[in-house]
Amino acid sequence: MDWITEILNVTWNFIVLFLNENIPLVVGSVKAVIIAVAIMSVVPALVWLERRLMGRFQVRLGPNRVGPFGLGQPMADTVKLLFKESIIQSSADKFLFHLAPAVVVITAIAAFAVIPFGEPFEVFGQTIEMWGANVNSGILFVFAISGMGIYGMVLAGLSSNNKYSLMGGLRSSAQMISYELTLGLSALSIILLTGSLSLVDMVRAQETYPFILVQPLAFLLFFIAGIAETNRAPFDLPEAEQELVAGFHTEYTGMKFAMFFMGEYINMVTMSALVTLLFLGGWNAYGLPVWPIVSFAVKVFFLLCVFIWLRSTFPRIRYDRLMTFGWKILLPLCLLNLMVTSTVKVIWFP
Amino acid sequence: MLEIATVFDFTHDAVIFVVGVTAVLASLGVILCSSPIYSALYLIGHMICLALLFLLYNAEFLAVVQIIVYAGAVMILFLFIIALLGGKKEIQENSLHRSMAFAFVFTLLGELYLSATVGPTKQVQGEIPAEMFGSAKAIGLELFSKHIVAFELASCLLLVAAVGVICLAKFSFAPLRRRVR
Repeated sequence: MDWITEILNVTWNFIVLFLNENIPLVVGSVKAVIIAVAIMSVVPALVWLERRLMGRFQVRLGPNRVGPFGLGQPMADTVKLLFKESIIQSSADKFLFHLAPAVVVITAIAAFAVIPFGEPFEVFGQTIEMWGANVNSGILFVFAISGMGIYGMVLAGLSSNNKYSLMGGLRSSAQMISYELTLGLSALSIILLTGSLSLVDMVRAQETYPFILVQPLAFLLFFIAGIAETNRAPFDLPEAEQELVAGFHTEYTGMKFAMFFMGEYINMVTMSALVTLLFLGGWNAYGLPVWPIVSFAVKVFFLLCVFIWLRSTFPRIRYDRLMTFGWKILLPLCLLNLMVTSTVKVIWFP
Repeated sequence: MLEIATVFDFTHDAVIFVVGVTAVLASLGVILCSSPIYSALYLIGHMICLALLFLLYNAEFLAVVQIIVYAGAVMILFLFIIALLGGKKEIQENSLHRSMAFAFVFTLLGELYLSATVGPTKQVQGEIPAEMFGSAKAIGLELFSKHIVAFELASCLLLVAAVGVICLAKFSFAPLRRRVR
């Protein structure tokens, strides 16, 4: 039995050496797990928050039977969704049908990897940064990954073999391509102000004042385009119940159906975090004695409430008006804002 | 006992190898697949692998642009058109296409063999400092100083092409009279 212990020893040594040499890899994996778990457990809480707030906005109570303040409701819902029968109609493309919700959730979680939420600190001689990865072009990374999320909806529409689903998928891709332009161009004015594509640099540039004070128009445009990007009301055309049954997720049941909503809520958090980082000064508290991460979380929470508030306030826009609004109003305004910003920067702050 | 440096290089090389092989397999899938939707999906996978390769060689900006432009914008239009035209699975009529595809693949492989044997590849010589490598700044400086004329000409060409396509594809239709609101 000597040779077995020998092999085990060698393997163990190799693993220890590998881990020792790849500490960034280990730290990165741990951070990835923490971020993924945290962001996924935020979703039920957010659903609860939305239902409670919507109830109050519509002068009713909202869920209040299961547990205190209805806090058990999201758990009951999750259990129900997990145990529901998963139905796939025989004419669907099975592989794509299963792939689509996974794409939505994976891209939503991956986009959160580059969102920073605090200053780095030191533990055991290792500098632990409060972000998954400090990519040099962090904001472009978020746009790229959230752009990949469109595929989930288009594939769901294509594979369901249902005309309502197809219409929903096409609508979502057209809508998201149109509003991505506005999103990118309004973020470009912030990139011009900081001279960097990294989200950490953008927050550090706002130490004295948040950029919403100098770029109010860009903030407004970015927020509107952000709501459209996350397919939230009043821009939830891809799933307009009155015209398309439920859009791209008409044929989905059980947990696969819930995964689309997971993606939507995670995207909501990501978008709120992006608005906070770009315009509201990220984790800077401006003199208030709170931890950076608390300041960041409070701002994101406030924006999430605004998202829910908008949903219960505005009716859905008609599809052609949505497109006209995007291309004929938001885009020219963005270009104008960009032109003014760059002119001011070149002439007064060279 | 293994050297420390080799272990790290091993991880890096292994990742590069896996991503490269996936890219080649995905590109094979594009031409060998009979359903247009799956072909488009393989192409998306291939482009993501290319972006990962850029990322592994420290060209972050190029990687992100590769995903935004090709995997994001161009391929979504491909899927759009497949969805509108109805992506039916093609029936294999004869083996001519298949043999052509194989011939194409083997030509590519032969070319790969040739380029591998002709001589070792030379390292790219450039004046970009190491800390700026792969950043948007380096690419911008290069693009808007040395290659500004070519860049502007290319953008003019694209604009002409876009206008030309709209002119060619234009069909006469009477716009619906707007209802008085």
